[in-house]
Amino acid sequence: MATAISIQGLTKKYVDVWAKQEVIAVNNLNLEVQEGEIFGFLGRNGAGKTTTIKMLLGLIFPTAGDATLLGKPMGDNVVKSMISYLPEETYFYDSMSAWDLLDFYGRLFRIPGAERQRRIKLSLEKVRLQPEAWRRNIRGYSKGMRQRTGIAQALINDPKVLFLDEPTSGLDPIAHAELRDIVASLKDEGKTVFLSSHQLADVELICSRVAIIHRGKLLRTGQITDLLAGERTEIVVKGAGLSNGTLQNLRAITPDIEPLEELQALKLFSEDDNQTSAVIDLVRNAKGSVISVVPHKRTLEQVFVETVRKEEGL
Amino acid sequence: MGVIYAIARQTVREALRRKIMWIFLVIGVFLISLGPVFGFLSPKDSQTVLRSLGLAAILLAGLFITIVTCIYLIPVEIERRTIYTVLSKPVQRYEFLLGKFLGGFFTVFINIAAMGIVFLAMLYFQEGHHIAPEMARGVMLTFFQMLLLAAITIFFSTITTPVVNFFLSFGVFLVGNLSSVTDTLTTSQNKIAHGVGQFIYYILPQFGNFNVQNRLIHPEESIVNMNAYIVQNIFYSLAYSAVVLAVAIILFDRREV
Repeated sequence: MATAISIQGLTKKYVDVWAKQEVIAVNNLNLEVQEGEIFGFLGRNGAGKTTTIKMLLGLIFPTAGDATLLGKPMGDNVVKSMISYLPEETYFYDSMSAWDLLDFYGRLFRIPGAERQRRIKLSLEKVRLQPEAWRRNIRGYSKGMRQRTGIAQALINDPKVLFLDEPTSGLDPIAHAELRDIVASLKDEGKTVFLSSHQLADVELICSRVAIIHRGKLLRTGQITDLLAGERTEIVVKGAGLSNGTLQNLRAITPDIEPLEELQALKLFSEDDNQTSAVIDLVRNAKGSVISVVPHKRTLEQVFVETVRKEEGL
Repeated sequence: MGVIYAIARQTVREALRRKIMWIFLVIGVFLISLGPVFGFLSPKDSQTVLRSLGLAAILLAGLFITIVTCIYLIPVEIERRTIYTVLSKPVQRYEFLLGKFLGGFFTVFINIAAMGIVFLAMLYFQEGHHIAPEMARGVMLTFFQMLLLAAITIFFSTITTPVVNFFLSFGVFLVGNLSSVTDTLTTSQNKIAHGVGQFIYYILPQFGNFNVQNRLIHPEESIVNMNAYIVQNIFYSLAYSAVVLAVAIILFDRREV
């Protein structure tokens, strides 16, 4: 599979002249995204996600490093005709209808008239915007309709790579699910999607690989299946015999122990079957009782929180 | 050209939605329509009053329409992030800037043309169904004066905020109109005053040259070859605007959005 996006040592520094401070928004980022995959780009607010996307699109300029999109340098006009972008919280020209807006963007791609009309119809149908709204002013659209229009404008040039920045944020559950499905369906058409999102459940569902960025630094990248590997098991134990010594022995097996004061019990998390067996044996030997043993699948949210907290030293 | 045209068309569409521009247009037309009233109060100079008030009203309303239209063209795109969806497409930055400029200027043209038509129609009926070509020339020069101002305002909008831009553009227009002060400074014996005068004369645009109201209204202050004078000023406006826009394009090309 060919590489759609290749980032080498991309760095962006901002200098606050007055405060004589340097802020590193993106720090020596190296990343590769393959053609045809939906790639999740995760990070807290201000982590450097949008800055990275803006550099790739030529909207801002890197302090150091380089990147190629579809084998060509970022910002190249030929590349721009093959990619598209949906920014976060975009205000469109709201005096226009969705149809006129797409017509305007189609003209920017120099798409000839008849073909442009065909693609506008196709894009609006794909995002499931009701036909009666096509010629209405965007000003009267709901948030969901605006986001559908936003994705439609990103599809007008039949792009090979799409950069979507929070495409499903702030939507009602139905619109959210529909738009997520639309994004997921792009993979079936062979498109590459670079998805920046805080909706980790969505990312887990539709992305094949993710990268976690924090304070401009890439912390982790990999296949979702690899990141989520290793079920955790929640074990709740109780008993008068759980002395301090037993507790210390339990901590030696797994440090992840939480007291459940209401039940006068302990909740432990084991990372594998051996740990689970060791905990159960220890509790039984100490005349305690095992109340429940529940296997938990790891979620992307847990992976994300653990990764970021570890970096922050929490 | 297709991209520049698309952006210009979009810009006109957005600019014509701005209420403040319509307010200045209404004020301009209202002031023009006051001409006959003031002329009635001063029967001896009624024609002079009508002509001078009309041209001054078009200039004043045109000035505010140009500035308020052009100062927001680029900052609003950045603030609303619509610029991201435009510049991430195969659009060169110079195409975006020229599209914005042409759209802004066409909006100003529509307004000046509307006020000019009202003004000339009023003259036609007030001055015995006679068309005043010298007044039409006056309106045309105002039009080219505003072209130059639009280029300067667009230039400032690539480097500063709308509020600062308003004062800068307004300031350049005022100083560029003070040709009598410039003349005094350049002929001054004081070296600093002379230098300031030279700077204003050679660097800042000579907006004063476009104000031919006095010469049009008072025939004794006639220009030997009016057509050559007008062509010279039109050429000056086009050339100066081209240079200012070229510098704006260079600056905007390096600007992060």
